[in-house]
Amino acid sequence: MRGASGSLPRYILQRLLLTLPMVWLLLTLVFLLLRVAPGDPVSAAVGDRLAPAALAERRAALGLDRPLLQQYLEYLGSVVRFDFGKTISDNIPITQVVRDNGGATLTLTLSALLVALVVGVPLGVLAGRFRDSVPDVIIRVFGIVSYAAPVFFVGLLAQLLFAVKLGWFPTSGMSTPITQFEVQPRTHVLLLDAILAGNTTAVRDVLLHLVLPAVTLGLLLCGVFIRLVRVNMLQTLRGDYVEAARARGLPERRVLVAYAFRNALVPFVTILGLQVALLLSGAVLTESTFNWPGLGRKLVDYIGARDYAAVQGIITLFAVVVVVISVVVDIVNALIDPRIRY
Amino acid sequence: MLPKRNLTTLLATGALLGLAACGGGGSGGSSSGGSSGGAGGSGDPWILGTTDSVTALDPAGSYDLGSWTLSYNIYQTLLTIPAGENAPQPDAAQSCQYDDPKTFTCKLKPGLKFSNGHDLTSSDVKFSIERNLKIADPNGASGLLGSVKSVDAPDDTTVTFNLSRPDTTFQFVLTTATASIVDEELFPAKSLLPDNQVVGSGPYRLDQYKPGQQAVLTANPSYQGANTPQAPQVFVQYYAESSALKLAVEKNEVDVAWRSLAPPEINDLKSQSSVDVVEGKGSEIRYFVWQFNTDVGKNPAIRQAVAQLIDRNAIAQRAYDGTVNPLYSIVPPGLPGQVDAFQQRYGQPSVDAAKKILSDAGVQTPVALTLGYTPTHYGPNAVDEASELADQLNGSGLFKVTLKDAEWEQYQTLYKQNAYDLFQLGWFPDFLDADNYLSPFVVDGGFYANGYSSKQANSLVAQEQATSDQGQREQIFQQLQALVAKDVPLIPSWVGKNVAVAGPGMQGVADTLDPSFIFRFWKITKNG
Repeated sequence: MRGASGSLPRYILQRLLLTLPMVWLLLTLVFLLLRVAPGDPVSAAVGDRLAPAALAERRAALGLDRPLLQQYLEYLGSVVRFDFGKTISDNIPITQVVRDNGGATLTLTLSALLVALVVGVPLGVLAGRFRDSVPDVIIRVFGIVSYAAPVFFVGLLAQLLFAVKLGWFPTSGMSTPITQFEVQPRTHVLLLDAILAGNTTAVRDVLLHLVLPAVTLGLLLCGVFIRLVRVNMLQTLRGDYVEAARARGLPERRVLVAYAFRNALVPFVTILGLQVALLLSGAVLTESTFNWPGLGRKLVDYIGARDYAAVQGIITLFAVVVVVISVVVDIVNALIDPRIRY
Repeated sequence: MLPKRNLTTLLATGALLGLAACGGGGSGGSSSGGSSGGAGGSGDPWILGTTDSVTALDPAGSYDLGSWTLSYNIYQTLLTIPAGENAPQPDAAQSCQYDDPKTFTCKLKPGLKFSNGHDLTSSDVKFSIERNLKIADPNGASGLLGSVKSVDAPDDTTVTFNLSRPDTTFQFVLTTATASIVDEELFPAKSLLPDNQVVGSGPYRLDQYKPGQQAVLTANPSYQGANTPQAPQVFVQYYAESSALKLAVEKNEVDVAWRSLAPPEINDLKSQSSVDVVEGKGSEIRYFVWQFNTDVGKNPAIRQAVAQLIDRNAIAQRAYDGTVNPLYSIVPPGLPGQVDAFQQRYGQPSVDAAKKILSDAGVQTPVALTLGYTPTHYGPNAVDEASELADQLNGSGLFKVTLKDAEWEQYQTLYKQNAYDLFQLGWFPDFLDADNYLSPFVVDGGFYANGYSSKQANSLVAQEQATSDQGQREQIFQQLQALVAKDVPLIPSWVGKNVAVAGPGMQGVADTLDPSFIFRFWKITKNG
C-alpha cells in the first residue's frame, strides 16, 4: 500500500533535501553560541599574562576583531568548500584532528553499542516475558539506575574497583605508550591497525584498555534498550498472531523469538538510530573520565580553549553523523514498512 | 543493513572484547622495553604523565609550559638555567656578554649539529630569532623578544643582538624556549613547521607526536652538549583530568606524574607506598589585586588594612593542605634581590593594627568589600582560598565581604569592569628574574590594568632594566618590593612548589624540580 505522499524515491529525496537546512541551522547555532559565550581563544590562553593592548593585537591577528557577519559568511563559505581550516589553539588542521581522534571515538561508541545490545536486549526480553515478576522488577531497577547514573560517576567507580582495587584493567588511556608507538597508523583506528599488523600483544592491550570505558558507556544505553525492548515485547506478546502461534502449539521459545521479539524489533531499530546522539554525548564524558583520546575529549579541551574553529568542526561532524543516521533509519523504516511516509 | 564484512568485524571485536574482559589479570602496567635508540645511557625508557597540553612544538608558536617542556629537551638555547640555579649559563653558547646595555654578543660552541645532521651556526640563531619576530604567532611568545632591533651573524660562531633599549633581562629571555635554535634549512621563515616534523639540537629528538595523546623522545645521537641523556627513550602521556593521572601513577602506569595534581591528590599519594612524592622549590604565585577604580580599592588605608589582616599560613594550610608556601612579597624567595617586604612592613596578622590603620584614615567599619575569584582557571582550591580570606576579613569585624565568582572567561571581563574591589589572579614567570615578577605588575597599572599608577615604580623598573650591575639591580628590586608593600596595588598570597610523583626505580627526579620549571628529561633515569 502506498502512502499519500508519494513514491519511495521521492520520499528519500525529500528526507535528503531536508538535511541541508538542518545542518545549516546547526552550523549557525554553533557559530552564534560560541560567540555569545564570554571569552575567546586569546583570553583563554594568555588572558592572565598580557596587557589589554597586547591581547587586542592577538585578536586582530586571528581576525576576531572583524564584524560578526563577515566572520559568519567566511565560515559558511569555508564549510561549503569542505575547508574547516586549522584549530586556533594548537594550529592543527581540523581534518587531521578528526582523522587522528575519530577512530578512537568510533571504537568506543561501537563497542559501547555492542555492550548495550548484548546486555540490554536479552534483559528487556526477559523482563517483558516475565512481567511483574521479581526478575522483571530487578531488571527494571537496573535499567533505571544504569540510565540515570552519571557516566563519569559510573566510570570513576569502575576505575576504582576494577583498575585500582582489583587490578584487572588499566585505569585509563587507549593503550600503553609502547603500543601507540609501535603500531603504524593505517586506518587510524588503533584496534584495526593492530589487527592488520598481526600484533596480538597490541590487540590484547587495546582491548584491555577498551573494556571499562565501553562497559561504562554501554550501560548508559543499556538502560534505554531494556525499557524499550520490554515495552515492545509487552505489546507484541498481546498480539493476535502471538495468541494464534501459541494456539497452534508452537514451543514458547519459538513464539518468543520468531513472533514476539521479531516484531518488537521494528520500533527498536527506529529508536536505536536516535540513540546515536545520546551515545556521542555520553562518549564526551566517558572519554574525559578514561582519558580516551577521542573526539569527545578533544571537544572538551577545545571548548576550554575557546577554540572556535575546532569546536565548530567537531560539532559539525557530530551533527552530520546524527543527521545522516536518522535519515538512514527513516529510509530503512520506509523500506521495511511501506505504510511509512511521514 | 550492515555489510557482511563489517558485521563480521563487529562480531569479532565483540568476541575479543569478551575475551579481554574475561582474561583479567593484566594490570596494564607500564611497559618497559620499547625500542631503544640514540645515545641514551644505560637506564630503561620511562613514561611521564602530565595534564599540561601542547600548543606547538615550533618555538615560534608556543607560550605555554606544556610546549616548552618538550622544547627544552628537543632544542638548545644559547643560554640556559642549570638545575637548582637561577643565573643564565651557556648552553649552545660558549660565552655571552653585554658589550653595553643595548648590545649582547654570544660565541657559539664549535661543531654543534642538529639531530638531522645539519650544522648549527650563528646564522641559524639569527634566523630563529628573526623568524619568531616575523611570524609573531598569536599563540607564541615573540613579545618576549620585543627589545630586539636586529641580529648580526658576522661569522659562523658569533651572534650579536642589537637591542632597541637597554634590557638586561634579555639574557634571561634567551633561556626561554621561545629563543630555541631551529634549523634554517628546515623551518619555514614565515610560517610554523608542523609539530611532527620539528628538529632540534637538544639532548633528545622527537620520534613521534600525537597531539593530546603522546610524544616519544629518543636520545639524540648528534647531541654534543653536557646534558647527556640518562634514558634512551622518554614517553610523554597527556591526560585531560588530574584524577586520571593520579590513578595512572598510583598504579605505576606512568613512571612520573608532573603537573598538575590537586592538593588532596598529592596528599593522598604521599600515603601510598607505590610512589614517592618529590617536592622542589616553585615559582608559580597567587595574589589578590586591588581594583583602583572602585571606592574601596582606591583607598590606601583599606588596602593596607587587608594586607595587615591576611593570614597566609592559614590559607596555605586550610585551603591548600600545606602544599604551597606563604608568600610575603610579589617576588618569591630565592631570587636575587628578593625581600619579604610585606612581612617587614606588616609583621604578623593583627586585627588591632588593621583597626588602627582604618581609624587613623577615618574609615568607617565594617567596610563592605567585594572579593572576586574564578573556580575554573586556578584549580578547585581557588574557592577555598577566597573563602578563607573572606572568613579572615569578616572575622576581624572590620570588613563585610561579599564573595563573587565567575567562569574564567567572564571573570576576565568582570574584573576589568570594576565588578570586584579585590580579585584573585595567578602568575607563572616567563624567566627567573625578579624583573619578571615586578615590571608586569607595577608599570602603568600592570597587565591587568587595575588603575594603579606610580611614577616611582615606572622609574625604578626602567633603571633596573638599564643596568647590568647586578648589585644595583638587586637594590632597586628591594625598593620596588617595599613600594608595593606600601602602596599595596596587590597582596601576594602564596608560592607553589614544584611537585612530581615518581614510581619505583626512578632516579634524578628531584634534581630537576626547581623554580625554573624546566623538566630536564636527561637527568632522569629508570632502573629495574
